[in-house]
Amino acid sequence: MSDAPSAAAVWRRVLPVWLGLMALLAVGCALAYAPLGAWGVAVSFGIAATQAVLVALLFMRLIEAPALIRLTAACGLFWSAILFTLTFADVLSRLTRS
Amino acid sequence: MSDPALAPDALLREPWDGLRLSEEEALSSQRFGATFGIWIFIASEVLFFGALFLFYAAVRAEHAAAFASAARETNIVYGTLNTAILLTSGATAAVASRACNHAPLRRLTLWCLTLTALLGLAFLAVKGLEYREDIAGHLVPGPGFKLPEPSAQLFFGFYWLSTGIHGIHLMIGIGLVSRLVWLGWRHPERLPGNPQVEVTLLYWGFVDMVWLFLYPALYLAGRAG
Repeated sequence: MSDAPSAAAVWRRVLPVWLGLMALLAVGCALAYAPLGAWGVAVSFGIAATQAVLVALLFMRLIEAPALIRLTAACGLFWSAILFTLTFADVLSRLTRS
Repeated sequence: MSDPALAPDALLREPWDGLRLSEEEALSSQRFGATFGIWIFIASEVLFFGALFLFYAAVRAEHAAAFASAARETNIVYGTLNTAILLTSGATAAVASRACNHAPLRRLTLWCLTLTALLGLAFLAVKGLEYREDIAGHLVPGPGFKLPEPSAQLFFGFYWLSTGIHGIHLMIGIGLVSRLVWLGWRHPERLPGNPQVEVTLLYWGFVDMVWLFLYPALYLAGRAG
């Protein structure tokens, strides 16, 4: 890393991602008013997840991180998945709403 | 880090004589340790916020209609504006973290850190305006709550708890970023290549990500109905 990139080069790598994130925000906000029924939840959280992946990979630079760092980041998701799966296995089996 | 303009001796946290590493190697080990450590912390925070979102998902599954009508009471203009502010602060943080390891980009790093902290403050200001409107609109759970359905109060219990905890995280982030601005301004040689910059900005990125999920949970639910 002895030769530093120019400031413009740094901005060029970040601004397209920022534009993409803002576009996703606009799309998500607009689609929230569309009559998608039960799909609405999936769409709005799907867009949020896409934005979060962009932030993690490109802003927090997981895409260029060593394997150990990526595994550490994945651990949080893995344990959360266990938390959600086991809890919903219980909650969904006892839903009182018909 | 082979950049000759960086000053490892100004950045190393403690003498590393015992390991007989060169200063450059010692700094690169410390940098990896710092990044590894903050990611372990972030993974534990994912579980902490994961439990909050689990509460939201479980209660929403049972009280879908009440949650939809409660979510319509939040102010989507403030919510969307704050999402845009945080995404922009994420971009300035990303520029700072890409620039911070290069001595010639010290000024860019410093400016982007300053912008990041200011955008964080702007977020809190908008949130404050929104809180004032929510309180005036009787959206605090308890006696005199605006909506008739009891489970609508569960939604606003989550709203106050989650945005409050997120706000505290953001305040800590603003404090940490401001500390780096102060460090870079008072001791210019201690900013370029300092592992603390990346650690702080990774934390900032995480606080950003939490909001990305709070936004659809609090502001986008129930809009179509």
